[in-house]
Amino acid sequence: MVNFIWENIFRSTDKTQGLRQRLRDNILFQDLSSTELRLVENIVNVRHYRPGEHIFRQGEVGVGMYIIMSGVVNIYVEEMQAETAATYVTHVTQLKSADFFGELALVEHEGRRSASATAHEETVLIGFYKPDLIEIIGRNPSAGVKILLRLGEVLGTRLRQTTARITELKKDGRGN
Amino acid sequence: MSFSQKAIERERKLKLFFFLGALVLLILAIAMIKNVFISCLMAFVVYFLLAPAVDFLERKGFSRTWATAFPFLFLFGSLALLIQAFSPALLAQISSLKSDFPKYIDASTQFLANLENQANLIISKVYPMDIRANLQPQILVLAQDFFKNLPDYLGQSITIFFLTPFLAYFMLQDGRDFVRKILALVPNHFFELALNLNHQIGEQMGGFIRARILEGALVGSVIGIGLMVLGFPYAIILAVFAGIMNMIPYLGPFIGAVPALVICLTNIHPNSTLLWLIFIYALAQVLDILLIIPLVVARIIDLHPVTVVLAVIVGSQAGGVLGMIISIPLFSVLKVSVSAIYKHLTDFRS
Repeated sequence: MVNFIWENIFRSTDKTQGLRQRLRDNILFQDLSSTELRLVENIVNVRHYRPGEHIFRQGEVGVGMYIIMSGVVNIYVEEMQAETAATYVTHVTQLKSADFFGELALVEHEGRRSASATAHEETVLIGFYKPDLIEIIGRNPSAGVKILLRLGEVLGTRLRQTTARITELKKDGRGN
Repeated sequence: MSFSQKAIERERKLKLFFFLGALVLLILAIAMIKNVFISCLMAFVVYFLLAPAVDFLERKGFSRTWATAFPFLFLFGSLALLIQAFSPALLAQISSLKSDFPKYIDASTQFLANLENQANLIISKVYPMDIRANLQPQILVLAQDFFKNLPDYLGQSITIFFLTPFLAYFMLQDGRDFVRKILALVPNHFFELALNLNHQIGEQMGGFIRARILEGALVGSVIGIGLMVLGFPYAIILAVFAGIMNMIPYLGPFIGAVPALVICLTNIHPNSTLLWLIFIYALAQVLDILLIIPLVVARIIDLHPVTVVLAVIVGSQAGGVLGMIISIPLFSVLKVSVSAIYKHLTDFRS
């Protein structure tokens, strides 16, 4: 039930592509020309994670988003009960190659991560952070605008889905 | 294949050790090798000065190589033309200043002696002073050393003159890739922090250095033009000195005005010249305070005046005039880094 917000609704099918192709397939970069994509390719950060290694933790200040080049990422939420001080972990979803997550951090100012992300197996991620986006806007504003428009679309779609789901839940609540 | 948290922790520590080791080695290499430290500082200044122009040309469709080459050639071409245009006058002024220097030292110590006499009339019984006897030999040694070491300074300047553009060009051309390679060594756990820190420091330093250069150029130009119109001796040297000294917050403008006042008092210029001199230096400062500081500087470095003065004092103790000039940017880098790391260690783990 809780995984809809983290689910990749923009997932592509091919899972065995290189950095350029992986970027091209991502919704944020799909409008970019080859030259613009080359610029992005030189700016993004490829990071390697061990199985069980944290990518980020719930409550941390987020700086950017991640695209999965290879591997699997677990997303989960930790909740602490005030009375017993016990922590409950709720598994939200499992993201696979070509999925992306954490994009809200690109537009938020010191926004905090709403869930934790951990590598499930040997995982390679493309890190695209706010300073990278600012650099792209500075060096190639046209590419920056294309990325921002797509980012707006992604966030808008997620918001619409969330609103629809909340409405459904409210209807269910009334039905019961 | 599963990795225990212990193994991940060990790998993280190893990566952190290598990253910090590489950083320390790089800083040591820069600091230890003769002339490289100052060349690197100057190259950073050129880098931050030209970076907006390079980015602008890149936005217009030029490749990074050409976008770097054009502003670079323009800046150093203009500097070469300026040096060519002003070097005969500048060399004549230096040689004239060298021969007149003892006269100015005599006059300044005489001025101090008069001051001392007046002060002694008031506090001699409480605290007897002998400023002239204490100060004159020191000033003489300082002046003799300066002119004796002038060929060495010039030799160093030539090395710096060639090394600075070389380093600056590669900083502009490949600096980002270099920083990216260094950042790639940062362990995953600290990567977002390091990237954000690098971005914040770059933004703050760029704005600060450009504002300071703009201030120095404005103050130097106003003083230079004013002194030339006034027909005051050593106009170029005094303008360059005032422009450089202006980079020292609060104290710089006063230090920058001292040589001109000494020359004016020594040469027994009419009072009107002294008034004009004060007017020119004050005008430069008023323009600086009215135009540059509120528009540019104040928005960039958010440091309390007391902190600024303390940083300048520490800088002067550690590295003389150069220390005073670089104390504020270094202190603000320290402030940004400490506050970001503190935030990371507290907030991030909440």
